[in-house]
Amino acid sequence: MTAWHVDDETLRRYVERTDSVAEGASVEQHLLTCAQCRTRVNSAATAFGLAAVWERTRDAVEIPLPSPFERLLRAVGLPAHEARLVAVASAFRGVWLVGVTAVLAFAALAAMIGHARGLWLFLALAPLMPCLVVAFSYDRRWDPALAPEMVTPYPALRLVLLRTIAVLALALPALLLFGLVVPDAAPFAWLLPAVGFVAVVLAASTWVSPLNAATVVSAGWFAAVWVMGARSATPAAMLQTRTQVAFLVLASASFGIFLVRGRHLRQLRPWR
Amino acid sequence: MEGLPSDETLLIGVAERDIGAFHALYERHAGWLALRLGRRCNDRDLVADAVQDTFVAVWQKPRGFRGDGNVAAWLWGIAIRRLVSRLRLRTDIAAVFDSAGPTPAAEDQVLLSVEYGDIGGALARLSPEMRAVIQAVVLDGLTAKEAAQLLHVPVSNVKTRLYRAKAQLRAALAEGLS
Repeated sequence: MTAWHVDDETLRRYVERTDSVAEGASVEQHLLTCAQCRTRVNSAATAFGLAAVWERTRDAVEIPLPSPFERLLRAVGLPAHEARLVAVASAFRGVWLVGVTAVLAFAALAAMIGHARGLWLFLALAPLMPCLVVAFSYDRRWDPALAPEMVTPYPALRLVLLRTIAVLALALPALLLFGLVVPDAAPFAWLLPAVGFVAVVLAASTWVSPLNAATVVSAGWFAAVWVMGARSATPAAMLQTRTQVAFLVLASASFGIFLVRGRHLRQLRPWR
Repeated sequence: MEGLPSDETLLIGVAERDIGAFHALYERHAGWLALRLGRRCNDRDLVADAVQDTFVAVWQKPRGFRGDGNVAAWLWGIAIRRLVSRLRLRTDIAAVFDSAGPTPAAEDQVLLSVEYGDIGGALARLSPEMRAVIQAVVLDGLTAKEAAQLLHVPVSNVKTRLYRAKAQLRAALAEGLS
């Protein structure tokens, strides 16, 4: 390009900072347009540990930006590494939530149209959603991110609880919204069963995989709803004190078991 | 330099998330950027941090370069501003604009006068505070606000010093011409 280049002596003064303001400014203006002289200056920049700076820079750009949900978790005070562990659960990958919402929306629609069967359908599906979401959020087959967790010394119990709370915080408002548009069956009829099922899945996950537990719970609940419907009981039966208390006991007992047996959590042990 | 991709080509690579192109760009520019920043701030760790910030910013917004001007000048614009924001958080470290070396000996002064007209001498006669402002605003292209943050002085102070420094330089040059 240009024939003129900074001479070695000037360059040495520039690097050693023994030059004057005017001379330094002149060198800097030239450097902006001359790749050749920049290369010469680069080889003199040994004092800044630029190889290490490159390592840090590369690490910084290779870590993906946190998702909005993860940023929300951090905003409410969760430490960064825990926010990441909670947020990587598959349940928070949009698609999943959309699917759950769609299923519930159809059930709620059926109930709104006024068929008694539609109402039963909603009652059969709604309480199961949170525990299914929780179960899927721990299953290794659905969540490759669980692999690194298993080699990380981290209290599994705390992680599972954090994730469950996060799942419920996302799932419950959606369920509540649908419950409110369904006539007759008070919107809260399914609330205690839902919490109870989550607790059962958590407790069972200390023996079997959460997904298997959730499958059994779902099958059992479908059968129960089917029997109730066949006996021509009204969905309002769900609201009887006896029923609600029974679910409350179920939830508390299961949760107690989960806490006691927390160290047996299968899901977070190394894969056989 | 033939056969090597241009800086613009490397930036396109960076925009396509090519870490190799990113590394090549770093190798080409990190050194002189660090040295030039090091003339504004004595703390080497802080300069290293500013260089890292610069390249992280480039990775995040490689299309910030519009294709006008040259890539080196664009990078410098980012780097000096990264340094400013790093310095803003650290009131314990002040920017240094004065060159660390001793005042040029009399014969060097003469040489400078020959080389650059009398600008070198006129700049050298400015007080260090005024020279710092001239460097930040005129030579580094910072705004008065950014210069104020870099030098840890109020904006109004920067504007006054700049005004006085320019007047003094003008007078010195006029004197030299007559």
